[in-house]
Amino acid sequence: MIPRSFEYYNPSSLEEAIKLLDSNEDSKVLAGGQSLIALMKLRLASPESVIDLNNISGMSYIKESDGKLLIGALTTHDMYENSDLVKQKFFVLSEAASRVADQQIRNKGTIGGTICHADPSADVPTAILALDADIVITGPGGDRVVSAKDFFVDFFTTALNPNEIVKEIQIPFLGARTGSAYFKHARREGDFAIASVAAIITIDEEGVCTKASISLGSVGPTPLRATKVENALVGKTLNDDLIAESSQLADFNISPPSDIHGSADYRVKMTKVFTKRVIKMALNRIGS
Amino acid sequence: MEKKKIKLTINGEQMEGEAEPRTLLVYFLRDVLGLTGTHIGCDTGHCGCCTIIMNGVSVKSCMVFAFQAEGTTITTIEGLAQNGKLHPIQESFWENHGLQCGYCTPGQIMSASFLLKRNPNPTEDEIRRGIEGNYCRCTGYVNIVKSIKAAAEKMQSK
Amino acid sequence: MRGPMATVTEEQAPPQKWVGQSVKPRESYRLIQGKGKFLDDIKLPNMLYAAILRSPYAHAKIVSIDTSKASALPGVISIITGEDVEKATKPFMGVVPPPGDKVIDYCLAVGKTRYAGEPVAAVAATERSIAEDAIDLIEVEYDPLPVVVDVEKAMNKDSTLVQDAVGSNIVWHKQFNYGDYEKAASHADTIVKEKLHFHRFGAAPMETDNVLADYQESTGLLTINCNNQMPMFCLALIVLATGWDSHKIRIITNDIGGGFGAKIISYTYMVLISLLSKKSGRPVKWIMERRANIISGTHANEATFYVDIALKKNGTILGINAKTIHDEGAYLRYEPIGALLWVQVSSGPYRFKNLRMDVNSVVTNKGPVAPIRGYGRMQHLWMIERIIEIAAKQLKIDPLEIRMKNFITSEEMPYVTPSGATYDSGDYPQALEKALEMIGYPEWKKKQSEYRKHGKLIGIGIGTGIDSGTNNFAQVKLISKENPFSGQSRMAFARMDEFGRFQVAVASNPHGQSHETVVSQVVADELGVKPDDVFVLPGMDSFSHPFTGHSGSYASQFAVSGIEAVLGASRKLKKKIIEIAAFKLGATPEDIILKDGKAIVQDSDKSLEFWMIANMAWRNNLELPPDMEPGLMELYCWKGPFKLPDEKERLNPTLTYSYQTHVAVVEIDPETGKLQILKYVAVDDCGTQLNPQVVEGQVHGAAMNGIAASIFEECKYDDSGQLLSSTFMDYLFPTAVEIPHFQTCHLTSPSPFTTLGTKGAGEGGGTPLITISSAIEDALAPFGIKITDSHTTPERIYNLIKKSKKVKGN
Repeated sequence: MIPRSFEYYNPSSLEEAIKLLDSNEDSKVLAGGQSLIALMKLRLASPESVIDLNNISGMSYIKESDGKLLIGALTTHDMYENSDLVKQKFFVLSEAASRVADQQIRNKGTIGGTICHADPSADVPTAILALDADIVITGPGGDRVVSAKDFFVDFFTTALNPNEIVKEIQIPFLGARTGSAYFKHARREGDFAIASVAAIITIDEEGVCTKASISLGSVGPTPLRATKVENALVGKTLNDDLIAESSQLADFNISPPSDIHGSADYRVKMTKVFTKRVIKMALNRIGS
Repeated sequence: MEKKKIKLTINGEQMEGEAEPRTLLVYFLRDVLGLTGTHIGCDTGHCGCCTIIMNGVSVKSCMVFAFQAEGTTITTIEGLAQNGKLHPIQESFWENHGLQCGYCTPGQIMSASFLLKRNPNPTEDEIRRGIEGNYCRCTGYVNIVKSIKAAAEKMQSK
Repeated sequence: MRGPMATVTEEQAPPQKWVGQSVKPRESYRLIQGKGKFLDDIKLPNMLYAAILRSPYAHAKIVSIDTSKASALPGVISIITGEDVEKATKPFMGVVPPPGDKVIDYCLAVGKTRYAGEPVAAVAATERSIAEDAIDLIEVEYDPLPVVVDVEKAMNKDSTLVQDAVGSNIVWHKQFNYGDYEKAASHADTIVKEKLHFHRFGAAPMETDNVLADYQESTGLLTINCNNQMPMFCLALIVLATGWDSHKIRIITNDIGGGFGAKIISYTYMVLISLLSKKSGRPVKWIMERRANIISGTHANEATFYVDIALKKNGTILGINAKTIHDEGAYLRYEPIGALLWVQVSSGPYRFKNLRMDVNSVVTNKGPVAPIRGYGRMQHLWMIERIIEIAAKQLKIDPLEIRMKNFITSEEMPYVTPSGATYDSGDYPQALEKALEMIGYPEWKKKQSEYRKHGKLIGIGIGTGIDSGTNNFAQVKLISKENPFSGQSRMAFARMDEFGRFQVAVASNPHGQSHETVVSQVVADELGVKPDDVFVLPGMDSFSHPFTGHSGSYASQFAVSGIEAVLGASRKLKKKIIEIAAFKLGATPEDIILKDGKAIVQDSDKSLEFWMIANMAWRNNLELPPDMEPGLMELYCWKGPFKLPDEKERLNPTLTYSYQTHVAVVEIDPETGKLQILKYVAVDDCGTQLNPQVVEGQVHGAAMNGIAASIFEECKYDDSGQLLSSTFMDYLFPTAVEIPHFQTCHLTSPSPFTTLGTKGAGEGGGTPLITISSAIEDALAPFGIKITDSHTTPERIYNLIKKSKKVKGN
């Protein structure tokens, strides 16, 4: 219940934090701590050093710039879940955040933290992938940008180098006539997903689908884009039959895990069911 | 590891105590500062018995290191009653039998205080979502929800 | 600020009677302020903290334990291993006859570990963190052994033995023959057979088991502060195992964070932590981690049933024949009592006279089982209701009709069941009718058939559970005649102090049942005062609270046994108060009543205030009646009106029988198998309610616990004996979002066997399991699916639907 001992650092700038990461080989960065501290308490993670980012100012913000939504890495789930800007223009992100655990966890957990933890059954990474977000990373060599699809590499593994920190998440604006939705099938509301889907659907004035972005959670080592489903929708007028048929393609290239909450087979089946349902939810929200 | 002094404001008072980096805030409150009203009910940050208010938001104090609380403003269950008078939420829990063994109760009340500050007139669904991070084994949640609803009415009529 | 004794009715004129009022619990006043005194809140000077190293293997020989690195860690004061325990203690006593009496059970694994999570070593250190660091440094060499987690495989002759000395994994086997099932079967029109499984789950109270042991060599006094629900009963088990001076052991409980039966078998830890205190010469506090709580036992009885039911084609039940296999885990503790307690509710709420039970108690490499709420009864009742519903469907009889036809009626009460269990009172048909009315049964039935046309699956589930309470310990003589336990008792004192105020104490180890409040209500009525005038000693301290070898809170009985003891003491006190008053006022005792803090001679203006009477008793005794002993403190020990089993092995194992009928409407999503409860009604009857709000609260909590077990909580083991759900991440304790609102209604069938007509509240923790199984089966009726397991998950339901569609060729 009590973590092993560690050195604690409390840098006041990102540069200082990077230097500390660089010079302490076995170190972990502390953002909200709602994933890291849980692991440390169970002694599943016992870094020699913990670098607390929370004294670095200017890492928590939500703003628009150049046609993108910019969210600081230390913005809490509660903040961006309830942000008017996010709710109105990137509803899928707010909806995904609202399903994270519970209020107290959302008050402390951060967007940067959850994407770096990279649990494929987590809510926000799945939405981030659907949103085609860019992740701004800072390291000893300066800043670089990695797209969400390149950021999630494997179970609990990202494209971050050991001496890098995520600074910001950038999300391109969704076009007009776009609806989005996130839904998670889980035993309890706040649990990690058995199957989860984030869908963003854009249609033109004639009602033809011009863009479909569908991201699946808990289907493998990382969240995955259901590209076959997306391709089956784009260029077509979406109706129930088409959506149902296309959703059957959601099992392409997925390899969900098997555990006591769901066998791999069940997860595959549920992924298809919820792909269908979440596409419909997104479609119905267009214009609202 | 060497212990360090931590200074913070708890229930309106400046307090300080020593902790190691790995000392969780809940142990700091309970063992070092003697504020034993905040409880521990699990190892994984689920049950919410340890809920306090830190810098205005409800937080599970078992999922925060004491060092992170340096310079913060914290309210624990002990700080709710003011000038010898019970907080309306406490009164409501008592009047509506919103507790039995009382172990989860401080956490429930602190979560309720955050909920009602943000949403002074919540629906039953909103109340249940608001206490989603607070497990209770005795009450089946029915009277907790009733207590929070009653507290909302009390606080609105003030 | 209103003091702790404030009640809802303070501002109003006091009612005629306090019993029956929903007086606000005085306990809550401290608890809402975080000023309760739970065990971890206690700090003693020089105190150490303990941590326990647990086995990662479900079954393994312990080859060696090297504690040298741990001992060298600064701050580590004492370490104990199985070797030390074997030298210092004998195995704990059980209740099972040979060969089961060869079960080895110590407070640490000795020689081998038998379940994953079993304590292997314990450390006491100056800080919690150091104790945890120390157990990391203890090096144990294990030699893994084959694991057996399937209880039926464990019964095979060639199975790995969990308890070698027993020679078999079947530690107890007994056949009970009540009535004549063979004859009944020969008269039956139909015999329906089924295999049923009641799953394993835990109680998970919010506070785990904790112990603070303080041995003082200078006085020889061992003080054990704990949160055990019946520590005075456990004292016998502790002393027999350790040989410690029983008269120098003081046991204390304060505020306890829930129990539900789980906090009964922590006596092993009481011994372990006391050993650490003795070794270190300092107080030692141990707080059980949640992970250890979920893994290391306090699971409810897991049972497999092979059951036959014999019926007439009109639905009359003639008898039940069942082979039951109880999966006890690796150690017995109180078992096989749980495998036996169906005798308390032998025919459920039904009128059939023939019951044959072949009971098997089997050990496996799983965590130990404890008397979780509903102990042994909920499993049996679930089995009965399941087989009846399955049979009803086969016979094409409506589930309501088959129940009404076979329910024992209130006119038949007191009703003697096949095992001799004598139901005191109750109206099962009325409870069912009430529940159906509250749920809106006819409307839901209509909706159900309409929805079915559109492929929507709605189910209406029904369940009646009986919570037998106030147990007769002689029931354990059905396990072994040699067991030195029988009857039931509770002891209490009532004292009027010299100012005319009252103190009452009874050793009940309350953990959320508002005993202090309820006792004050009862005593207030007896003595003509307000509850405020009665201080009930909180918690329990064996040096101040009277106790017997039966004392504690378990087996649903405080409203009977605890209250009878309190009544007895209060009435003795009342008698003496009246005698003194009569003497002083020149009246006869029959003319005197106690009212508003005074002894009043009826139809006169003569009265004496209580403090005047108290003064005479405590400081001014030459004014007392000449031969009267001074003082105003009365002790009373209540004895349960029980008998030993007869030659046919029948007895009345419990005095009172509360019951509940729960009805639920559920909807199942056919595409996902996910279940949602649309409406839930709980009707309960626990006789006279001392405090209706307290009872209702417990009904809510029990409804939640049963639903939680039914659709969320399961202790599932893999083949290597690892518990797959060992934290709240995977052990799915439901939140306020998952649990629906409950509508409740209380009926009152007073017990003819208790002074106030009370019964052990029971609360109905097992009934939701019956109701939800019934609801699921009803929802899935279009697929012809039978529910034969007490636990369901969305995936299981999804697979059941899929399988049935394949079978039907849909």
